[in-house]
Amino acid sequence: MSYIAEILPPLLQGAVVSVELFIITLVLALPLGLPFAFGEMSRFRPVRWICKIFVFVFRGTPLMLQLFFFYFFFPLVLNIDIPAFPAAILTFVLNYAAYFAEIYRGGILSIDQGQYEAAHSLGLSRAQTTFGIIVPQAMRVVLPPVSNEAITLVKDTALASVISMSEMMRVSEGIVNRDYNLTAYVVAAAIYLLFTFLLTLVLNHIEARFSTYTRREN
Amino acid sequence: MSAILEMKNINKYFGDFHALKDIDFSVEEGETVAIIGPSGSGKSTLLRCINCLTRISSGSISLNGTTFVDTPSGGEAKYIPDKALKQVISETGMVFQHFNLFPHMTVLDNVTYAPIKVKKVPKDKAVARAEELLNLVGMLDHKDQYPQMISGGQKQRVAIARGLAMDPTIMLFDEPTSALDPEITGEVLSVMKNLAEQRVTMIVVTHEMGFAREVADRVVFMNQGELTESGTSEQIFTNPQSKRLQDFLSSMIRA
Repeated sequence: MSYIAEILPPLLQGAVVSVELFIITLVLALPLGLPFAFGEMSRFRPVRWICKIFVFVFRGTPLMLQLFFFYFFFPLVLNIDIPAFPAAILTFVLNYAAYFAEIYRGGILSIDQGQYEAAHSLGLSRAQTTFGIIVPQAMRVVLPPVSNEAITLVKDTALASVISMSEMMRVSEGIVNRDYNLTAYVVAAAIYLLFTFLLTLVLNHIEARFSTYTRREN
Repeated sequence: MSAILEMKNINKYFGDFHALKDIDFSVEEGETVAIIGPSGSGKSTLLRCINCLTRISSGSISLNGTTFVDTPSGGEAKYIPDKALKQVISETGMVFQHFNLFPHMTVLDNVTYAPIKVKKVPKDKAVARAEELLNLVGMLDHKDQYPQMISGGQKQRVAIARGLAMDPTIMLFDEPTSALDPEITGEVLSVMKNLAEQRVTMIVVTHEMGFAREVADRVVFMNQGELTESGTSEQIFTNPQSKRLQDFLSSMIRA
């Protein structure tokens, strides 16, 4: 027990880094997915292709490889220095934006054609239709898959350890190697579980709020 | 009385399919016109051309004095620029077979959204007008409910109020009762009858022969993309001229 008390502070410090990585990634990737989603459906072929290629590349290669690319290869080629944290943020944001773009696209495509027709016949502009009619409905559709991605992101932050970022996974690895004792992994697992549990509660709450208009009163 | 809608030589092709064939059609102010005919005869397509949900291949359409699409001889149909076209479209109100209410908005917001956003009506005025219209269609008590909570007939009545809220010069109804249970079509039809009595200009694509006969000033019969016969409901129902219309009417009565 005293051993756990001893390793807990550094692990929690690592957890704070993990949480930071998680929050910043989510805050940036959630909105960034939207222009890519619309880009993929654009009438302009070059825009469409750029967005499709972006999604193809970031969904089609391992996240770990992308981390290596932005941390080692990218700075070498451009001859600039990118510290681990910004490199991890950059990688995670682009990777998750690609996934969110696909989820958003699916959400937007799920909206009935009749909604566009109703908006058209009321004289609504494209922007009014998109942001007043389509996106609010699509949000409800995409919430479950987006929640799922958010949970995945909690665990994916562990991958940042491969570019020597001292988030929780790397910290626990260090402790295990130092003490020849696997307890740190167990404690880290418990902290990840606690984190996903709290996140699930928050996401369920948001989902419940968004579904108010579909609940029947009887 | 003057023509509020004038459609001339309308042709519409979907690929190789000739959906509308040289149609001339006009509606006078205050008139209620019913369009009847078998499925796939082009009724809905013709209606959708009026508010540009479907773009015509050739011909010309004028609404309230504005010719928004015209065709130079031998050329393709040419529409006026988008911004001006939006203006014309917002002068029409449309009611759909499947209601197409906005599910994420309350009944009241459904009705006030377009007036506030498109016509820039102040919110309190838009709400007052919406409540008036919801009262007219008997839905004022449900103004704070979401569309999922109300029945199909109620949804369609809200959709009618939503269309009217833009103060359209013409109301278009695309089979407004076809998705409803037979026993509740009456509540929608009586609202529409009420509008017709108030001389709201209306075009109604319908399979409700009783409604067409009783309420419409004029009935138009379409068949295979052609406007085959047109006349007062009296003429169409009691003295049909073409064989196709006679067959159609007898099949409707049998059904």
